[in-house]
Amino acid sequence: MSDMSSEHVAKIIDFLRNGRKAEDVSLEDVMRLAELMAESFQSFFKSMDLAIYSELGEMAREIANMKEELAMLRLSDMRDEHIPTAGRELDAIVEATEEATNTIMSAAEEIMAADVEDVDAYQALVGEKVIDIFQACSFQDITGQRISKVVTTLNALDKRITTLVEKLKIMRITDVAANETPAEKRARELMLHGPQFKGEGVSQDDIDAFF
Amino acid sequence: MALDTSIPVLVVDDYKTMIRIIRNLLKQLGFEDVDEAADGTEALGKMKERRYGLVISDWNMEPMTGYELLKQVRSDSSLSKTPFIMVTAESKTENVIAAKKAGVNNYIVKPFNAPTLKSKIEAVFGD
Repeated sequence: MSDMSSEHVAKIIDFLRNGRKAEDVSLEDVMRLAELMAESFQSFFKSMDLAIYSELGEMAREIANMKEELAMLRLSDMRDEHIPTAGRELDAIVEATEEATNTIMSAAEEIMAADVEDVDAYQALVGEKVIDIFQACSFQDITGQRISKVVTTLNALDKRITTLVEKLKIMRITDVAANETPAEKRARELMLHGPQFKGEGVSQDDIDAFF
Repeated sequence: MALDTSIPVLVVDDYKTMIRIIRNLLKQLGFEDVDEAADGTEALGKMKERRYGLVISDWNMEPMTGYELLKQVRSDSSLSKTPFIMVTAESKTENVIAAKKAGVNNYIVKPFNAPTLKSKIEAVFGD
């Protein structure tokens, strides 16, 4: 093992001594360790077997290529910029729809509560509230634009994750963490609930027949 | 037999707008005595303090869902006879069957209108 440089061994020891906890180890760390090991053992195996040396060289090149390809996916952009922006867009949509709904409902409630005996006042009130309702409906234009932006982000995210899975050759990802808490399990199951799409689920008529 | 609109009604939904919609529809049908709760736990607390003639509940709520509320109500001898209507966007067959098995009196899929709500309330009271 005389050809294995002490410099390489020192690099590996430094890397391992870097105080990483298991949960902090990233894919980047694993790749870096693999790269260091490949570099270190290259010189060791060089003296023993040229074929092994060549394999290790190939492995090092693969690792370098993968690092480059991962960098090109720009996953950090998604995490730091696109996903938080999409979250803000969705919050804005919730806020705008809530505001519009409240305006429309308030207008309708005022019309419901108005005195129909006073015809002139009633007509004036209805006219005014109808205008309020029309104005409130303008939220649809802006929320439509916001939703388009969120859909674009989701499509980009989907594309990048698919590319990552293909590059890492992950055939099957275990879907549930073994240490999932009951609260986490419940939250995950609730995500699957909610309104069905048009044509899916059962209709009110089907339910009525069932009852 | 005319619908008794003097009964107190409890509307349970975590979405304030939905409560407001149901409250207004009930008002249109003549129900004036309407209380509200934001989830199953709050509803159960209110039901133990006051006897309601009808509960109209959403399914998806935290921490206690409408389905869990229904099961709790049916398992409590002092509340078990309370008429219970589920009003929800959950229209999966298994949900409807589960609610029926748990003892729901009727099931309305959102979105719905005043005539639908009226006909389901009438069906519950046998009118």
